[in-house]
Amino acid sequence: MLRLLPWEYGVRNLFRRPGRTALTVAALTLVLLMVFAALSFVRGLNLSLAISADPRVVLIHSVGGGENLESSSIPARSAALVAASIPGIQRRYGQVYVSPELHLTTRVYVDGDEQGALGVIRGVAPTALLVRQQVQLIEGRWPQLGEVAVGRLAAVKLGRPDEALAVGQTVMIEGRRWRVSGRFAAVGSALEAEIWGPLDEFQQALKRQDVSLLAVTLGPGGEFGEIDEFCKERLDLELQATPETFFYGNLQAHYRPIRLLIWSIVALVSGAGVLAGLNTMYANVLGRVRELAMLQTLGYSRTALVLSVIQEGMLIAAISALMAAAMALWAIDGTAIRFTMGAFVLRMDSVAVATGCAVALALGVVGALTPALRVMRMPIGESLKAI
Amino acid sequence: MALVEVIDVVKEYRKGEHVIRPLDEVSLEIERHEFVSLMGASGSGKSTLLNLIAGIDRPTSGEVIVNGTAITRLSRRQLAHWRAAHIGYVFQTHNLIPVLTAFENVELPLLLLPFSRSERRKRVALALEAVGLSDRADHYPRQLSGGQEQRVGIARAIVADPLVVVADEPTGDLDAESTEQILELLMRLNTELGTTFLVVTHDPRTAGIAQRRLRLEKGKLLDRDCPAHVATITEDE
Ligand SMILES: Nc1ncnc2c1ncn2[C@@H]1O[C@H](COP(=O)(O)OP(=O)(O)OP(=O)(O)O)[C@@H](O)[C@H]1O
Ligand SMILES: [Mg+2]
Repeated sequence: MLRLLPWEYGVRNLFRRPGRTALTVAALTLVLLMVFAALSFVRGLNLSLAISADPRVVLIHSVGGGENLESSSIPARSAALVAASIPGIQRRYGQVYVSPELHLTTRVYVDGDEQGALGVIRGVAPTALLVRQQVQLIEGRWPQLGEVAVGRLAAVKLGRPDEALAVGQTVMIEGRRWRVSGRFAAVGSALEAEIWGPLDEFQQALKRQDVSLLAVTLGPGGEFGEIDEFCKERLDLELQATPETFFYGNLQAHYRPIRLLIWSIVALVSGAGVLAGLNTMYANVLGRVRELAMLQTLGYSRTALVLSVIQEGMLIAAISALMAAAMALWAIDGTAIRFTMGAFVLRMDSVAVATGCAVALALGVVGALTPALRVMRMPIGESLKAI
Repeated sequence: MALVEVIDVVKEYRKGEHVIRPLDEVSLEIERHEFVSLMGASGSGKSTLLNLIAGIDRPTSGEVIVNGTAITRLSRRQLAHWRAAHIGYVFQTHNLIPVLTAFENVELPLLLLPFSRSERRKRVALALEAVGLSDRADHYPRQLSGGQEQRVGIARAIVADPLVVVADEPTGDLDAESTEQILELLMRLNTELGTTFLVVTHDPRTAGIAQRRLRLEKGKLLDRDCPAHVATITEDE
C-alpha cells in the first residue's frame, strides 16, 4: 500500500521560500490570466454563434447565397408563397411564422459623427419576433415609422459608446434619419450586434423591392425536407433552404483559423508557464535533495515523494488559477468585442473556468514532475551526502 | 543466530576504468542488544557499510541478513517497507524536516506503519520523553538547539521500535557538552530499552561507549579495540 507524506508537508513547503513562491504564483497568474482571456474569447465566439442558431428555424435564400446572406436576394412575394404552400411551417392564431428580412452591412452615422462606421442592419416585418424567439426588448419599444431598435452590442459593433445609441438618439442610415426607439437583447447571439428597423421603410430607403432571406419556423410536424422540396420545385424563384444550425455551423468553421491561432497562443503562453513552474520546482527540489533522501531512508517510496512534490506544484498552480480566474471574472468576463461579422461578449463560463483550471493543474504537474523524477533517480546514499 | 549478519560483502564503485573497492569481503555479526562502534579513516567505507546494513544500498556481492531476512534479495519497494519497520537511522545533525514540528518529525516513520492515530500519539510522546524533549513537541527545528535537534532525530529513529538503530556520525556536528548528552542518551537507550546500535564515528569518545569497537582499514574490517590516539592520528592524516 502506498503511504503518502503528510499533506501539511507540501503545504508548509510553500512558505519555506515565500518570496520565490510568491514570484512563481505571480508569473503563473499572469500566464493563466492570458489563458483565461483566450478561452473566454473562444467561448464567447462559439456561444454567440451557437445560440444564434435555432434548430427549428430554416433560412430561405437565393441559390448560392448561403455563404453570405447579405448578397442573397429573393423576390418579396416569396414570403406569401412560402407561407401558403408549405403546411409544415408553424402557425398560430392565424399567423404564419415566416419572417422576410432585408439584411445588409452599411455605414451608420451616430449624432455628431462625420465618418460613420459599418453596422449590421436588418429590416424586419412584425413576424420577425415570432421566428426570432431569442430577441427580447430590454428598453423602450419596437420601432414604428422612422425608427429603429438597436441590439445590446450594436454600439460596440460600431465602435461607439453605448450612449450614442441610447433610446431617443438619432442615427443616419442610407441617407435617412432614424430615431432609436428601443434596445433589445438576444441571449448573447449574433443578433445583438444588429440594428433593426421596419422592412418596408428600409426597402424604400435602399430603393429595393426584394428581401435577403426568409426565416421560417418549422411546426411540430414540419420537416426541413418539405421546405427544401418546395425550393427545388419552384425553379422560377431560385430559392435555396438551409437549416439555421447548419448556417452557423458553417460560420463556426469559418472562424476555425482564428480559434487555431488562439489555441496556439494558449499553448505558447502555457509553455512560458511551464518554464516558470519548472524553474521554481527545480530550485525547490534541488535544495531538498538530502531531505528527500532522508525521507526515502525512513521508508517513504519514491512514488510518495514524487506525489508530494507534485502536490506542491499543484498547490502553486491552484492558487494561481484561483487568482487568475477571479481577475478574469472581474476584468474580462462580459467585455464586448467587435469583429467583422458583428460583436460578441467574452465569456468566462464554467467551461472556460474548468478548462483554464485544467491547464493550470497540468502546468503544475509538468513543472513538478521533471525535477522530482530527476532527484528520485539519484541513489539514496549519494543524496544523503548532498548539502 | 546473530541479529545482523554481513557475509563476504564486497562493494565496488566503478568510474570508467577506475574501480574503487571500499569494502573487500567484509564479514560482521552484531548480536541483539549490542552496542557496536565503527571507526576508520575518512573514505574507508564506514558509511558504505552502514548503508548496506540499513538497506539503503546494495553490495556488489555478498549477503546481508537482518533478523533472518536476506535484505540483499528484497526488491526496492520491499526494502523501503522493511526499512520503515525495522531500521532506525540517526543522521548527522540538521536532518529534521524544517517545516514539521518535533512531534511531526518523530511521527514520520509511524505514518508508514499500520498504527492508529492514538497509537501514534502515544508512541511519539514516549519517544520524545525518552530523549527528554516532551516539552518541545510543538517546536520547529529552528527553535531547537543542535543537541536538541539531534535528540529529536534519535527519537525518530527509535519511535517504531526497530531491530537496529544505525547512526552515521551522530555527534559529528555537536559541541562537547551536547555530545556528552547524546552519548549518555544512546547508552541509556541501549541499557534500558535494549536497543541495538551500530554507530559510525570519528570521535574516540563516542566509540568509547561501545561494547565492541570495529575499525575499517583498506577495505577490511579489524575487529579489535582501537586506542584513542591512533584514531586521532588517522584522522589528522
Ligand atoms: N556513489 C559513489 N560513487 C563512487 N564512489 C563512492 C560513492 N560513494 C562512496 N564512494 C567512495 O567509496 C569510499 C568510501 O566512502 P564512504 O562514504 O563509505 O566513506 P566513509 O568512511 O564514510 O568516509 P567519511 O568518514 O569521510 O564519511 C570513498 O573512497 C568514496 O569516495
Ligand atoms: Mg561517512
